[in-house]
Amino acid sequence: MAAENDNQKPPASSEGPRKLDRREVLAGLSTVPALGLFGYAWQKQRSYQKSRADAAATPAAAADVQELNVALLGAGAQGQVLMDAMMRIPGLRFRAVCDVWAEYNLRRVVNSLKKFNHEPNGYEDYREMLDKEKELDAVIIATPDFWHAQHTIDCLEAGKHVYCEKEMSNTLEGARSMVLAARETGKHLQIGHQRRSNPRYLHCYEKLIGEANLLGRIVTVNGQWNRAVAPDLGAPDRYAIPEARLKQYGFKDMHQFRNWRWYKGLGGGPIVDLGSHQIDIYSWFLGANPSGVMASGGLLYYDPSNHEWYDTVMAVFDYDTPKGPVKAFYQTQTTNGSQGYFENFMGDQGTLLISESEVNYAGQLYRDPNAPAWDTWIQKGYVTAPKLQEAKEKEDGAVADVRESVSPDQHTVPVVLRDPYHQPHLQNFFDTVRGKATLNCPPEIGYESAVAVLKVNEAIEAKSRLAFRPEDFHV
Amino acid sequence: MLGLDGPQAPAGVRRFSHEAMATVYEVHAVHPDARYAAQAAQAAFDLVDRLERELSRFRPNSDISRINHLGAGESTRVSPSTLECLAIARHMFDVTGGAFDVSIGTGLPSLEFDPDDLTVRATTGGVRLDLGGVGKGFAVDGMAGVLDEWGITSALVHGGFSSVLALDPPPGADGWLLTMSDPRGASGVLARRSVSQTAFGASGLLKGGHIVDPRTGAPVSGRVAAWVALARPAAVEPDAGAATAISDALATACMLLDDGEIAGLCARSPGLEAWVLSSADAGDPRPPSVRHFP
Repeated sequence: MAAENDNQKPPASSEGPRKLDRREVLAGLSTVPALGLFGYAWQKQRSYQKSRADAAATPAAAADVQELNVALLGAGAQGQVLMDAMMRIPGLRFRAVCDVWAEYNLRRVVNSLKKFNHEPNGYEDYREMLDKEKELDAVIIATPDFWHAQHTIDCLEAGKHVYCEKEMSNTLEGARSMVLAARETGKHLQIGHQRRSNPRYLHCYEKLIGEANLLGRIVTVNGQWNRAVAPDLGAPDRYAIPEARLKQYGFKDMHQFRNWRWYKGLGGGPIVDLGSHQIDIYSWFLGANPSGVMASGGLLYYDPSNHEWYDTVMAVFDYDTPKGPVKAFYQTQTTNGSQGYFENFMGDQGTLLISESEVNYAGQLYRDPNAPAWDTWIQKGYVTAPKLQEAKEKEDGAVADVRESVSPDQHTVPVVLRDPYHQPHLQNFFDTVRGKATLNCPPEIGYESAVAVLKVNEAIEAKSRLAFRPEDFHV
Repeated sequence: MLGLDGPQAPAGVRRFSHEAMATVYEVHAVHPDARYAAQAAQAAFDLVDRLERELSRFRPNSDISRINHLGAGESTRVSPSTLECLAIARHMFDVTGGAFDVSIGTGLPSLEFDPDDLTVRATTGGVRLDLGGVGKGFAVDGMAGVLDEWGITSALVHGGFSSVLALDPPPGADGWLLTMSDPRGASGVLARRSVSQTAFGASGLLKGGHIVDPRTGAPVSGRVAAWVALARPAAVEPDAGAATAISDALATACMLLDDGEIAGLCARSPGLEAWVLSSADAGDPRPPSVRHFP
């Protein structure tokens, strides 16, 4: 039954116990109580929600949760996103916040934490923080990319566990030194590729691509992050940072401080800010690192006097996966947000369209008409029953009802994230610090991702295909 | 239903627009530096986007979606802003005797809020929240806070023209000129006001729409639109940052409350004004009447 296709179904009038056709099976299934039918999905969702509920239990009820002393290093937009997610994770005590923008970011985050029973000390200089805050268990780093290596290494060497935002570093030397520091100190270092802990991505990786092999042989991948035009980031006049302090921390002026992502030597531009998350998923799902990349890009739109990196990038990666060669396209542009961001994996038996967003492309699956039926996986709850795209009833004796082309069956991935996007990855980090989990993105993985992504900018500059050697990805 | 009147762009006023929460937010700001004003507006819009992620019931991982999935006895942690918006919503429920109810009769009072632990606990299951009647005003109040940090004081901020906050007027003007119009478009402008430091909320029925009275479950009849204006308390007052959220909620409530209840609300709330447009009886040739309170 499982592999039966519609065009092979026996006539309905055949003798003996009548076989149900696929359509009837699916129609019947949809009347079964949700618990029986979507047993797996239900269980998966329940266990995910239960772990959240356990984690959210009151401190008294969860006496076994070891309270961790944490500090936030870098309290800008991303630091605040991480802090917001951490506020929902019990058992954390914010002891310190550090940001060189003492007049604004630091003040705001410290004040906001104080409203909620935390008593964090505020620091402008992270070395002073490390000197004084001896009780810290972990530091969450969300500073500009060019500070990541030094901040991470100093924190690790001070005996702290570290969660560091991606991109791990703006240079491979920096990223490599972070891997080595984590090994030498024996402290945990999680890199902030948060999709690696997202329950929907984990389900797709482990169950749909892994166990069920729903896509068959993946041959092509495409993905994008399109963003609409936005003004450069500014700052309230009254909170400008004195020039001497800006220089001390490596910024030539307030514009560069606020827009460091656009500057060479500080950040990596949109391909690194946005593409890094998704190219990391390419390699993860394909089970391989790329063997080569060609790319084109440029600063086509924004003012070159205060933007250095490419606002538009299109790249093609070559992969030699255990199952065969793959071509993977990626584009990021910053002048039109149409269709947003997604990753699209295309195999000879099916397609998976996925994104981190819970609103758009939250996991759509298309089965190739010639692929084996997915009934087993529907019954296990790995995918939803399809929106049937079948035709009108055929007249008796007719081979086909000629009509407009029929789209493949569309299914969805039945796992929903109910928390802020970064929360599961942070939870995985703190669980690891407590000895109850292993890191979903240890520095070795972050390094592999950095090697693949940073090469795109090199390939644009070189105007030719650049090859990777397998050893490029190892530290 | 609420509109800006007068010259489209009063001298020196810069306008910035942003789509969020299924409507358009705008900042009308006076500042000599166009780039600075745009950056300030963008910072305000970034806040709206963040609030939408937390407050939208259409986002599966928003705080509100999580609350809507709580079973009896379960709890969830939310952001400080979510808790604050819920506290305002709960307050407005009490103030209006349940006429303003973000749970539409599914049990808002059964939710317990713990501000120390940032937790919302459901004592019964089945509570379904929709912050549509207060979230836009709440976002507008937050945007005004951002503009204030940026030193922009002469501005008007609104979400879909149903939640409007007029700050200081443009130079040379004594206020921002706002109009109130019949949502059915039939009778044009019904009232005008030149305002500053005032929040406006509007609620109404477009053709074919309806509002359900959470107290009875029945659709509202007899009312076409309601407007509420609330003088913005001085910055030191506890409600200073919530004037638009409150007027937003009260406008919805005024679609349901009877005239006596609205008059009573205005009498005990200094700085509060309301306008109510009732539907004319079938065959009544007179134009619809607007009643003004107090």
